Amino acid sequence: MKARIIVAALLAVALSAAASTASGSVSSSKADSITVWLMGDAQSGWPNVVAEANAAFRAKHPGVDVKVQYQTWGDHLTKFDASIAGGDTPDVLEFGNSEMTKYMASGALKQLKAANFPNSKTWLQGLKASCTYNGKLFGVPYYAGARAVIYRKDQYKSAGIKGTPKSQTEFLSAGKKLMKKFGKNDPNFSAFYFAGKNWYASLAYVYDYGGQIATRKNGKWVGTLEKPNAIKGLNAVKNVVGTLSRASRTTDEAHPQQALVFAKGHVASFIGNGWEWPYALNKDSGNPDLANVVGAYPMPSHVQGKLMPEFLGGSDLAIPAQSKNASLAADWIKAFTSTSAETGLAKVGNIPNTTKLANVNKDNPQLAPFAKAASSSWFVPTAPNWVNVENADVLQNMLVQIYTGKKSVISAAKSADKQIQNILNG
Amino acid sequence: MAVAESEFPLVSRRRRRLSGRRVASALAPYALLAPAAAIIGAVLGYPLYLLVRLSFEKYGLFELVRHHGTWVGLGNYRKIFHDSQFWHVVLRTVVFTAVNVTLTMVLGTAIALLIARLGRFMRLLLTTALVLVWATPVVVAVNIWRWMVDYEFGVANWTLTKLHFGNFVHHDWFASSLSGFGVITAVIVWGAIPFVAITVYAGLSQVPQELIEAAQIDGARAWNVFREVTLPLLKPIFIILASLSIIWDFQVFNQVWIMLGERPSPDYYLMSIYAFVESFRINEYGLGSAIAVVMVAMMMVATLVYIRQMVKTGEVR
Repeated sequence: MKARIIVAALLAVALSAAASTASGSVSSSKADSITVWLMGDAQSGWPNVVAEANAAFRAKHPGVDVKVQYQTWGDHLTKFDASIAGGDTPDVLEFGNSEMTKYMASGALKQLKAANFPNSKTWLQGLKASCTYNGKLFGVPYYAGARAVIYRKDQYKSAGIKGTPKSQTEFLSAGKKLMKKFGKNDPNFSAFYFAGKNWYASLAYVYDYGGQIATRKNGKWVGTLEKPNAIKGLNAVKNVVGTLSRASRTTDEAHPQQALVFAKGHVASFIGNGWEWPYALNKDSGNPDLANVVGAYPMPSHVQGKLMPEFLGGSDLAIPAQSKNASLAADWIKAFTSTSAETGLAKVGNIPNTTKLANVNKDNPQLAPFAKAASSSWFVPTAPNWVNVENADVLQNMLVQIYTGKKSVISAAKSADKQIQNILNG
Repeated sequence: MAVAESEFPLVSRRRRRLSGRRVASALAPYALLAPAAAIIGAVLGYPLYLLVRLSFEKYGLFELVRHHGTWVGLGNYRKIFHDSQFWHVVLRTVVFTAVNVTLTMVLGTAIALLIARLGRFMRLLLTTALVLVWATPVVVAVNIWRWMVDYEFGVANWTLTKLHFGNFVHHDWFASSLSGFGVITAVIVWGAIPFVAITVYAGLSQVPQELIEAAQIDGARAWNVFREVTLPLLKPIFIILASLSIIWDFQVFNQVWIMLGERPSPDYYLMSIYAFVESFRINEYGLGSAIAVVMVAMMMVATLVYIRQMVKTGEVR
C-alpha cells in the first residue's frame, strides 16, 4: 500500500514537469495513432459499431491507427486520473453521464463545438445536459439507457400470472406467486433477482414515492434520503428485495453479471438494460434456449397504471485537455456518433443519442419496453462533486445496511445523508 | 526464507568477530554501505519526502490537472484527527494486525515443531505443501478463496451444508464484517504461515541437541523444554518474524480489496484502504497522503520499539 501511495505521489508530482512541457506542443497532423478508452460494454455488446467507426475514420485519415482500449467501470476514472498525473492521457474517453461534472468543473476536458458533431440539434436533452457545464460543451452524447424488467414469460404463465404487472402491488403479488411455485423446492430461485448494491434500481423507488437524494438549499446541498417520501420508497424496495430476491445483499448487479445468473434458469425476472438481454442469450456465456421465453416490461409505479421513474443512464465521449491529437479525436467521435453508428447502438438495445432515431425499435417487442421505460426517468443531483458520492459507494453501503438489516432504514438513510452533504459541499 | 536462513548463522559469527579485538578500520563498513544507502535514499527517501509534502497540500482533481497543489499546512491532519471514522479505522487496523500476527506466529511455530518431529517422507510432503502455498501469488490466492466462499456457488457453503453444520445455502460471509474479516484473516494467515514455519524450523535445527537432552535428563517436560531452552535460543528469530509480520499485516491491502470486489464498505476499511479510497476514489490526494503518513509514523514506532529491544538485549549484536 505504502508503495502504491508513493508511486502515485511520484506520478502526481515528479512526472508533472515532463507533462507540462509535453502538453505545450500540439502536433495533430503528424500523429500516427490515437488512443480511445471505451467501456467493456462496447466490446461485448456492439464491437461491430466500433469496427465500422474505426474503418470510417481510417478512410479519412489513412496511416492513423486507432487504439481502442476497453476499460471497466470500477476503475476507469482512477486510471484516467493516473494518466493525467503522468501527462499521457488517452485522446478520447467514455464517461458515464453522472461522472462528467467533476471533470468538466476541474478543467480536465477540452471544450467542444456542438455544431461540429452529427445530429447535435436533436441530441437527447438529458445527455446533452450532462455534457454541459456553465453553458459550455465538454462532451458528445454517446447513448442512453433506462432499465426495464426482463422476465421469463413461461414461468410467469405457469405461476398463473396474466399479463404484466401494472402497479407495485401487482408486481409484488406476481412475485409471491412465482416464489410459491418455483421457490419452494429451489433454494436458488429468485422471482426478482436484485443484488443488494444495485443502487440504480433501488433509488428508483425513492423517486417513485416523490423522494430524492439531495437538494440545493441556500447554496448548500442537503441530503434528503431521511425525508418521509424517500423513506417510503426505501421501505418499499426493502420489502420487494426481502420477499422476492435471494441474490446476495452485499454484491452489485455486475458481480456476478445478473444477466448470466438469469441465464442459469433460477431467476424469473431482473431489472436490467436493453443490452443485457442479448447477453443472457449469448451462446457462449448465456443460454440461447431462452430466446423464445424472454420478455420485458417497464417497471410499474406504486401508482396504478403509471411507470416507475428509472435512472437515465448513459455515456458521453470527451477529449481530455491534455490530448495532443484533439482534432483527430474529434473526427473519431464524429464517426462513432454518426447516424449509422447510433442506429447500430439502438439495434442492440440502447437508446440512441438523437431523437431522430427514437422510433428505430418501435416495432421490436424486445426493445420497445426499454424506450418506454425511458419516458419516465430520474437523474442524480448535478453537483460537481457528485461522482465522489458514487466513488465512495455511499448509496451502495446504505443499501447493504438496509437489506442485511444491519441498520434500520431511517438510521442508514440519516448517515448516508450526512456523508452526501459532506461530499457535495466539500 | 533466504533472509532468515542466512540470518541465523550470521548472528553467531558476527558476535564472535565483534567480541574480538579487531575493531579496526571502523570507517570501512560505512564506505561499503554508502552505495546502498544512496539507492535507498533515491527510491524510498525521495518518494517519502513527496508523500509528506503532499500531505501538507490541498491536492484534488483540480490541482492534479494543473500539476500544482496548494499549501494548507496541518489542515489535512486536523481534518483526519477530527474524523471519528478515522479513529475507528485506526483501532480496527491495530486489532486486525494483532489478531493476524498472533495467529500467524502461533500456528507457524506449531507447524515448525511438528515438522521437526516428522519422519522424512511426511516432512518432505509438508514442506512441499508449505512452499506451494508460499509460491501462490496473492491475487490468485485471494480469488480462489473468494470463489470458495462465494454466496451462490461457493464450495464452502456447499460443504458446510452437506456436513450438516446448518443451512449454509446462500450464506453471505461478508454480510457481517466480523465473519468477513474472519475469511480475510484465514487467507492472510494461510499465506503467511509457510514463511514463519519454515524459518522457525530452520532455527529449530540450530538448537543444540545436547541442551535439550540435558534439560530432559533434568526432568523437563516438552512444554518446559520449549519454554526454557528453545524459546530463549530462538528469541532473535521470533522477534524478527514478529516485526516483519506486524509490518506486513499492518498494511494489508490486496486481500481486503480483491475479496470485496474492489468496493469494500466502510466497515471493512483498514488504514491502507482508507488512504487509497480518499486518494484515488475521491481524489483527495492530500488527505490520503496524510493518512498514509500517519500509517508510516505508526509503523516507525512499532519498528523502533523492536529495534531498540533487539539492540538492548544484545541478541543480534
